[in-house]
Amino acid sequence: MSVLSSLARLEAAATGRAQPVATVRHCHLAGAPLVMIPLKLAGEAAAPLAVMLGRDRAEPALLVVPQPRNRDLRFAFAADLAKIVLEHIEASRGAAEALAPGKDGEERFRYTDAPQILLPNPGGVGFLARLGRSTRFRSTEGPYAVEPGVPALGRWLTWFADRHDHPGSSLLLTVTEALRLHWATGQSSLEDGNLAALMGWIDPPDGLDGAAAAARAEDPVVCPPAGPATDPTFDNEVLAPAIASYDETGHEQRVRTALEGQLAPTWDLMWRAVDLLRALPEGASVAKRWERDRDGFTWFHRNFDEGVPQPRRDTAVRAARRLHDLERAQDAYEAQRAFDDPLIMAEHRLNGQAFGGVVAGGDPARLDESGKRPKLRPHLLIATADPVRLDTGTAVCNAARPGLKGKIVDIGPDGVTVELTGGMGNRLTPAPGSVPELGDRVVFTSLTGGSFGPARFPDRESTPWTHGGPPPEYVPADEDAQEEWS
Amino acid sequence: MTETAPDLDRLRGGAPPRNHDARTIAALTANPGCARRGVMDAAGVDKDAVARQLGFPAPYGQSQFAITRGNVFEQQVKADGCAELLTLLRDRLGLTVPEARYDDLEEVAGSESREMRHARTRRLLARALETGEGTLFDHPLLRLEIGGRAVYLEPDVIAFQLAGRFHVVEIKSFAVIDGQAEPEQVAAAARQSAVYVLALRRLVAELGHDPARVAHEVFLVCPENFTNRPTATPVDVRPQLAVVERQLARLTRVDEIVAALPADLTFAPGAALPESVRAVQARYAPECMASCEMAFFCRDEARACGATGALGRSVRDDLGGVDSIAMALALAEGTLEPAAELAETAAQLRTATRLRREALGGLH
Amino acid sequence: MSSGPDELEARIGELRAAVRRAMAAGDRAAARRLRAGLREAERAWDEAVLGADEPSHGPSHGPSHGRVRPPARDQAHRALTLLGVPAAPKLVASVHAAFFPAEPAASLANLRRDEERSFRSAPHARPYYLCAALTADLLAPARGLLTISTWSLERRVVGRLSARADFLAAAINVAGHVRRDTPDVQRLLWRFAANIPDASGGAIGTVDPVALAGAARAELAVHRDADRRERAAAAARAAAGLGEAERLFGSRLRSLRAASGESHRPRPTDGEDR
Repeated sequence: MSVLSSLARLEAAATGRAQPVATVRHCHLAGAPLVMIPLKLAGEAAAPLAVMLGRDRAEPALLVVPQPRNRDLRFAFAADLAKIVLEHIEASRGAAEALAPGKDGEERFRYTDAPQILLPNPGGVGFLARLGRSTRFRSTEGPYAVEPGVPALGRWLTWFADRHDHPGSSLLLTVTEALRLHWATGQSSLEDGNLAALMGWIDPPDGLDGAAAAARAEDPVVCPPAGPATDPTFDNEVLAPAIASYDETGHEQRVRTALEGQLAPTWDLMWRAVDLLRALPEGASVAKRWERDRDGFTWFHRNFDEGVPQPRRDTAVRAARRLHDLERAQDAYEAQRAFDDPLIMAEHRLNGQAFGGVVAGGDPARLDESGKRPKLRPHLLIATADPVRLDTGTAVCNAARPGLKGKIVDIGPDGVTVELTGGMGNRLTPAPGSVPELGDRVVFTSLTGGSFGPARFPDRESTPWTHGGPPPEYVPADEDAQEEWS
Repeated sequence: MTETAPDLDRLRGGAPPRNHDARTIAALTANPGCARRGVMDAAGVDKDAVARQLGFPAPYGQSQFAITRGNVFEQQVKADGCAELLTLLRDRLGLTVPEARYDDLEEVAGSESREMRHARTRRLLARALETGEGTLFDHPLLRLEIGGRAVYLEPDVIAFQLAGRFHVVEIKSFAVIDGQAEPEQVAAAARQSAVYVLALRRLVAELGHDPARVAHEVFLVCPENFTNRPTATPVDVRPQLAVVERQLARLTRVDEIVAALPADLTFAPGAALPESVRAVQARYAPECMASCEMAFFCRDEARACGATGALGRSVRDDLGGVDSIAMALALAEGTLEPAAELAETAAQLRTATRLRREALGGLH
Repeated sequence: MSSGPDELEARIGELRAAVRRAMAAGDRAAARRLRAGLREAERAWDEAVLGADEPSHGPSHGPSHGRVRPPARDQAHRALTLLGVPAAPKLVASVHAAFFPAEPAASLANLRRDEERSFRSAPHARPYYLCAALTADLLAPARGLLTISTWSLERRVVGRLSARADFLAAAINVAGHVRRDTPDVQRLLWRFAANIPDASGGAIGTVDPVALAGAARAELAVHRDADRRERAAAAARAAAGLGEAERLFGSRLRSLRAASGESHRPRPTDGEDR
């Protein structure tokens, strides 16, 4: 939360409609994402009830477990879900594009596309993670055998859920988080967790303002919750009798109809949200981040057959490395968004790490002749009203063109003087158009798009004894496959 | 405190005081700064009924699937004289083989009278403290004084270890997966258990023994991974204990707030109820919706008067504590001159407005 | 009144919403009324759409349909005899399912209450009754336990160690009766073995009845004497102070007194005070 986004909320409350907090889309949106809406049974760790999913809004698939406590039905559901998800993964690969060989000369590839999954909310991510955990260790042989798609599904779901935690990744997106990245409503963050209420503020139905649309959305009888939890009165008055009817007659129609009724409205909302997001122009660095996502996907996909299920807990080294990676990625992601989007850069201008204004003076052709050879070092005086909190000597770059680098040489009542040090060409006169001219509006910032170098960690064999010594090799055990579903 | 008692009765409008249990007591700690809640809780007003009468009922109801699952798991853990629980505690607490006594305090001679169950609980726990006899006490009934009234509390099991201490054991049906559970659920269970620990310590003190003989470590018994096998996890509830004790102490100081209220104020049902409720100030935040039945009424009130608190605590903080949306916007527009203490906030808001306009206007 | 499926569906939708709103507002009475109408509408819909005379194909229907079920009391008697100790209805049912799988299980709900009524109306008319276990301190009916009237009082009173001692004794008796190794039997053995130290010899995932009995005996030796003493003392008190029906079904004097409105001063409730 920041003053800028809080201000946006105030404006939304006053006008009755959500207000933008971004001018471009900061996440990748696939041409045919897999929209998935899971529902789970109350009171259980990860007992699936139903899922509505598909890549085409006109053709949702509905998978249902008519008696959620029946183990066979649960695994049949998992097998059906596996088929659809694995198909989506294969269909989203694109071709394998050859890249320049690596340092050791080994061949490198990257798929030209990658699968994207869209869930309604973070609760869905937790559910997929648990579903992945409960299926990836299953065995395809022995007394508790499951179909081969099931453990594969588990490994993929776990992988997607892990990627969701990675800042800037678009492989698994939750629609509530994606919408909140771009719009501020006139209600609280907590209330924004309700997809229907959030959409009510962003895209209210005719005749209603944001508040009225959100109020309507809070009635679970009118607007079924987006899941994975179901409404308790639905459970007690509609679902339980339908399941009882299945137990007696073997017909699953009543259960299917009941659950479809809970899922269909959210399905429509999800696709409407996709339309809203797609209407935004894509941010400049989104493609680069999606490339990183494709790298990760390529690696996991190509190594899938020889790989083993992800371990239950991270080893010490892995945990430390993961934390470091996440922090680096978070910094990079925030910087990239700021460079992509002046409304995000505005945050940094507000807290003094960036400043903007009109070029009011300076010396665009200035040379620095103090050294052996003269260097082109133009001075720009930028008249700004922003609360600058940078010191002289700080390295800065141009927000619109980060290649243009400089440093602050003076901060005074007339503005900030920046000495440009790079990005103007190699000659003693600046390349045409490379130096901002008098009267131009510019923004300079101390943010950098990059971060520190690759982390250095001991490899697995040398885990210090303080962290339990080297981790044992993974050996699949019968116990993994044996757990009974509750 | 006794002077306030008739006042509190009047506030309740003659209705009998609402029965507390561990969950509602733990919920008392959620919003200590709210006078409306403080007064209603101290007086034992039925907040649920008041909310309903005001036209803002709190959503009510739990899924029967969750209830059934919880009951089945608890029954399973307690079957055969708590056989599964004994196995867990032998492993976790180091109970020795001879320590296997089981006392059922759920009923006394077929009667479920609370006074009798509590009396028997006191007797058996006293005997355990004096002679060391007794290991598992199933559904004991404890008592706590809240606002001058007795509240009966019923933990799942109390375990007693020879030459050791009493441990509260709570059986919960949320899963512990690879050693971890949903933090919110663990936190709620910890708060609830802290109330039991508090009540048990007071009882032990009343019996003339050292309250430290009740451990601050409680055991949560939960299903392991995706099975029905139970696993026991120790939880240190000292932080929650401190919070509960502080809040209960605060409840007794509600006299000051009550003294400032109109002398004839009452929360009895009637046409004057909305006005009466509004006469006591609330401190609404969205978090209230998870812990207080009055939340939807207070939310409506906050929204109607354009309070920034309705947008969330962090938003209100970002705005330097400015209470009113209209005022914050006026400061941002520059149409309102700020008081001295709001000068910095106002400057920030004005800059923010300018920056937003510039970015959204396409000016670069 | 007969309605087409569409009208029924609309009405079902309305009624469902109304019931859910009533329950959400805590108005149980209204919910109950509406629910009755909802059930009727749902039934009419089932008939109209799925066909009225659907033979039951559901998974819960098995060979039990149409056969006369043996009375619950016989089943409980057989299972309890095998167990040899006071036991909860769930355990009794598990034992019955494991050792007499051919018979469908009868419900044991309300068995004690029905047996007490039967005894009081015609004492000793039957050769045995399923009755209560008595708590050692108050000689009151122990919650959730079944015993057989033909057992001695010592067997039928439960002291503070009895829950554990009887669990171990039951393990020994059950292990001794194992003839065939079915999944139900293994499940029952596991219920004991998982909660007795050193009890599960045999291959991984299975329970060896001999190992189970041995381990149970070992722990039982620790508790047996103390348990027997407490039970003997309680049995003596019961024999001396209780009437026939009370000896079988437990003494509930306190609640009877309270119900009759008699005021009473608290009696010593701890057996040791007597």
